[in-house]
Amino acid sequence: MKRSLIFAALFTTPCAYAQADKPIFIGEVAPLTGPAATVGTRLNKASKMWADEVNAKGGINGRKIELVTCNDEGRPDKAAACLRDFQEKGAVMIFGNSLTASLRAMQPLVKNGPLLLIPSPNVVPPADSYAFQVSPSDFHLTEAIAKYMKDDGVNKIGMVAATDASGEVGVESAKKVFNDQKIELRLARIDLRATDASTQLASVAGQDIKLVYSSYTGAGAVTVVKSFKILGLPQPLMVSYGNMSEAFVSLIKDVAPARLLGTSVAALVPDEMPKGAERDRARAFFHAYAKRYNEKPDMINLLGKAETDVAEAVLRKLPNPSDYPAVKKFLESTPVESFHTQKFSPTNHVGLDASSVMIVELKDGDWIKARPISSK
Amino acid sequence: MNLFTQAVISGLMIGAVYAFLGIGLVLVYRTARILNLAHGETFAITGVAAALLAKAGLPLPAALGLAMLIALAFALSLHRFVLRPRAEWPAGNLILITLGAAFVVRGVLVLAAGTDPVSFPALFTGMPLRIAGGVIPPQGIALVVLGFGASAAVGFYLARTRSGKQLLAAAENPYAAELVGVNVERARLTAYGIGAILGGLAGVLLIPLIAVDFQSGLAMTMRGFIAAAICGMSPVGVLFSGVGLGLFESMVGAYLGALYQDPVMFFLLILVALWQSRHIRFGGTRRA
Repeated sequence: MKRSLIFAALFTTPCAYAQADKPIFIGEVAPLTGPAATVGTRLNKASKMWADEVNAKGGINGRKIELVTCNDEGRPDKAAACLRDFQEKGAVMIFGNSLTASLRAMQPLVKNGPLLLIPSPNVVPPADSYAFQVSPSDFHLTEAIAKYMKDDGVNKIGMVAATDASGEVGVESAKKVFNDQKIELRLARIDLRATDASTQLASVAGQDIKLVYSSYTGAGAVTVVKSFKILGLPQPLMVSYGNMSEAFVSLIKDVAPARLLGTSVAALVPDEMPKGAERDRARAFFHAYAKRYNEKPDMINLLGKAETDVAEAVLRKLPNPSDYPAVKKFLESTPVESFHTQKFSPTNHVGLDASSVMIVELKDGDWIKARPISSK
Repeated sequence: MNLFTQAVISGLMIGAVYAFLGIGLVLVYRTARILNLAHGETFAITGVAAALLAKAGLPLPAALGLAMLIALAFALSLHRFVLRPRAEWPAGNLILITLGAAFVVRGVLVLAAGTDPVSFPALFTGMPLRIAGGVIPPQGIALVVLGFGASAAVGFYLARTRSGKQLLAAAENPYAAELVGVNVERARLTAYGIGAILGGLAGVLLIPLIAVDFQSGLAMTMRGFIAAAICGMSPVGVLFSGVGLGLFESMVGAYLGALYQDPVMFFLLILVALWQSRHIRFGGTRRA
């Protein structure tokens, strides 16, 4: 007995020290170039900021964060290759900071771990997987739109959706939610390379339509807003969560329709959140992000922050974050504090729901809580 | 609002972009026998540079002029310093070089402007024109008029003027052309220069209606290529293929849905390619 204790003292202690010195390896798959680069770079900014802040404070339990980013260019095949590479190198967890098609390619590869955190609303992970979504789903965002309409007695909506995988998810959610809520949906699809959206808008924005929704992100969303303005449509135009950024606002500020609305997590407007720890966290993130990058954070940055909050909770609370079943059990049973508390369960791997969503409106260059549709 | 009228207006605007980009590709192909896959980069360079210069405080016309000069310098440099010294290389290799140049431009643009799209104000402002239930902005009218006008002018220049014919002769047989006094090098530089100006002009007119980012160039090259290929690389035909493609694309989008646009367009392209290759299949000598 004594001998085994001596052995343990001689050999395991240095090993434990070696483990303590070893950085925590986290893999990030993000499109830093390619069509989705605007999403990837925003999420990457939030994760880099988090890793630097943690490391500046000495790391977690004495271990520094080693964040390695693999550029998947928005290509599913490359995303899968990035993920396999991270698995081989022993990543403790993966930040799935890419778009729908890439996330769908990565998801089946983490059947046995490691933890895959997903900030995109478009991919709902199955509850028997190691993937966890840290944002409200697209379905939740659409539910929030339906509630906003119903509150004002509006029961018809025109929608323009892209022809890619993200657009497909948006159309699926819209058909289900609006049908359940007895809201008439008038739908037009638009090609990602379109240089004009006037035909699509003309087909969905009749006089009986009180709200037009464009579930489109990036340069295409700008095309929709500009065409909307050219047609002189009087309805409010609602844009997707991916457009709640300063870059988007600066592009459309001279051509914005009379009322531009958007879907977002409520933390985008911290002043509208109830007093308390969640609001304080949102404000602290706004302050730190603006100080570091000299710009206001947007909805995508906020989802990146939600992702790092979940990652940090796992790393701080669990002695061995590479014990994937224990990580899964922990997340399914423990609410994670963030600007909106993430609540996963053994049957649900989506941390937020429609209650965390706010319909916002652009006013004087800032996003505020939206007034009712009927307001002038 | 009338969907048909709006689809026609939208189709004309899309067609003008096809024509603008197509004529530049045809011009370079007909004079240098190279399919310049970096052609659309003149559009992206002009757009991104103009947006950055306007943001830096330069008056819009000056920003647009300077941006077009940068695009022109790129196109001429591509020919003079990259392609011309390798003129004896197989055409396939030269095409790959132009593709490489397109990716270099992407890299430079992402360093200069980041990954977010950018734009700049319209040159032609005012109330949109309303016709028969459709709406077109002044900038859209300028795009249609100048797009088709420039394409027609270049077609006329090549087919009817002495220097235009010299350009075509330089492509058909550069050695024979030199023997009869044609300055082949100058002809090719002229072709690249006109192509770049047209690509830049497309950017100046279209980007205020949309937005541009570092990766817009290749998408524009593809549009130009489709228009040019359908008309068999004919400088006059590209005007008509541009109009036809624009209207066709818009009508398919309006009445069948955008999901059908690509399959229908590429099916059409295959049919036209088969039609044009009928002489080759039956032993003729006609070339597309």
